[in-house]
Amino acid sequence: MKILMVEDEVELANSIQNYLTGNDFVCEWAANAKAAIDKILNYEYDCILLDLMLPDSNGFEILKELKRQGKTEGVIIISAKETLETRIEGFNLGADDYLTKPFHLSELLVRIQALVRRKNFKGNNIVTFNEIEINILSKTVSINSVVKDFTKKEIDLLLYLVGNKNKVLSKSAIAEHLSGDMADMLDNHDFVYAHIKNLKKKLNEAGSGDYIKTVYGLGYKWQHD
Amino acid sequence: MTKKLLYKTSKAYLIFSVCVLIISAPLFYCLTEHLYLEETDETLMLHKNEFFKYSLPTLTIADIPNWNKYNRNVKIEPSKNITNDTLFHTSYYDALDAENEPYRELNTPVSVQGKSYTYTSRINLVETEDLMKSIAFLFITIIFILLIGLFVITQKLSVTLWKPFYETLQKIEGFEIDKNKQIHFSETGIEEFNRLNKSIEKLIDRNVIIYKSQREFIENAAHELQTPLAVFQAKIDTLIQCSDVTQQQSEIFGSLNDSVFRLNRLNKNLLLLSKIDNESYSNKQTVSLNELIEQHIGFFTEQAKAKNLSIETKLLETLVIKSNPVLAEVLINNLFLNAIRHNVTNGKIVVTLSNHSLTFSNTGQPTALIHDKLFNRFSKANPSEQGTGLGLSIVKKIADINNWTVSYNYSKNLHSFSVAF
Repeated sequence: MKILMVEDEVELANSIQNYLTGNDFVCEWAANAKAAIDKILNYEYDCILLDLMLPDSNGFEILKELKRQGKTEGVIIISAKETLETRIEGFNLGADDYLTKPFHLSELLVRIQALVRRKNFKGNNIVTFNEIEINILSKTVSINSVVKDFTKKEIDLLLYLVGNKNKVLSKSAIAEHLSGDMADMLDNHDFVYAHIKNLKKKLNEAGSGDYIKTVYGLGYKWQHD
Repeated sequence: MTKKLLYKTSKAYLIFSVCVLIISAPLFYCLTEHLYLEETDETLMLHKNEFFKYSLPTLTIADIPNWNKYNRNVKIEPSKNITNDTLFHTSYYDALDAENEPYRELNTPVSVQGKSYTYTSRINLVETEDLMKSIAFLFITIIFILLIGLFVITQKLSVTLWKPFYETLQKIEGFEIDKNKQIHFSETGIEEFNRLNKSIEKLIDRNVIIYKSQREFIENAAHELQTPLAVFQAKIDTLIQCSDVTQQQSEIFGSLNDSVFRLNRLNKNLLLLSKIDNESYSNKQTVSLNELIEQHIGFFTEQAKAKNLSIETKLLETLVIKSNPVLAEVLINNLFLNAIRHNVTNGKIVVTLSNHSLTFSNTGQPTALIHDKLFNRFSKANPSEQGTGLGLSIVKKIADINNWTVSYNYSKNLHSFSVAF
């Protein structure tokens, strides 16, 4: 899958590129709007990551250009601007998702995966990992083809872990993912432990492998050797 | 005790006037009496001179009884052995009025046909008592008129002359630096007031500029911090992926992660505060507090599990307020978070909605908090705590811009924060 990242901050761009490259993604980088539009006109992408404040233009201009060209790439805005107005304007101009800086790379990854899934949706929308099958549309999980009872939150956590397989996920990243808009209201990340424990238990009871590893002092990892 | 400026000035005027009048009354009496006597004496002398010039040359001794018979006040009497003109006070009994009347009398030696006589001329004087009475009456009248005059003038001045001053006062009293409202003073036509207004205007303008630049600074600083924070976060996320991380390093990454998280939240709260200041959240809608509380109770119940807190909600009424929905949510969330953060293990939280107010009560440290700094930015009861120190000042700010009141009290081991809508 091919991703175009439009971001002028070199260090951030490097980190995003590094993180995504390890996950079946080809990540191309444009540091300004001109380079970005050049690339968009010449290549096809599955997803575009778009910073709004660019040295030569505004990210919204790129959205307008995409519209003019009739391009249907999924766009995730990654910006330090977080007012409701910019969000609304972004969505109105055709963006699919909005992620406020700073964000966790793991969060960005699952957002890209979700967007790509939605865009490439062909009849079924299923994430598979070995014996685990997650049906995004019907919100069900089956293990070894047996449908198991999972709550919405558990499915969300499972998708997040599977999406970031073989990556170390800090407790704060997991906590923020689970809390969504309420992430700023988090006081501690202790509740993550309870969620992980619960999920582990459910997967275990359903006869699934023990994929969730604890990384001491830091967080967890969905490990698949 | 403070009194109005006008009261003080008119009091001084009044005391001064009354003093002057009281002191001047006897002086006035003496002067009047003196002038009166002088005038009387002059008249007596004039009469005498006329007598000497016109009457004496033709007067004979035989005429004297007749003269005396028809002249009441000018008589020629047997010599009293005086050599000069003598002026003196005397009194005669007035048979008709049955009282003594005061007189001024002039005695002069005259010679009629070679025989010595005494010329006597007298003028009836005003009685001293009458004079005093008249003067007293006059002065009391003047004092009375003065009093009324001062009162009327003071009243008039207070509405006209001091009007610009009171207008200025009213404007300053209504001024709040954090509200984007310009103050403009109108021309008064009085130099001092114009100066006062100009100085105040200058003072306010300068303060507003300083305040604004400070506010902008906070917002800009918070904004500028977001990119390095994003890089920081991304680098840590990358760093923790390294395969040969030791347990010790892993712990360091963990605490680094927590610190970035705190920095991030602090930054967002600062941004939020400056956005409220800049009236970014000024559009209002109707918001149901009950719905907001019920919407987030799940999240906070989960957060409260770490301390094993029990949350009790007493939503005794349906409260719909007019507010910016984002801010109403932030207010409730911050109060909720506050109640969890400062709680003790196995404690409880009671959320009450009644009498048009929302109260969050929680168990916590067994002493009341110090009230005056509670809502200040970065004032923390315990500096080592996890919080940003901005939660309550955000609550206060939101309450202030909506004209709600926030209060704190501590009773029965419960710390309560109330917002009255």
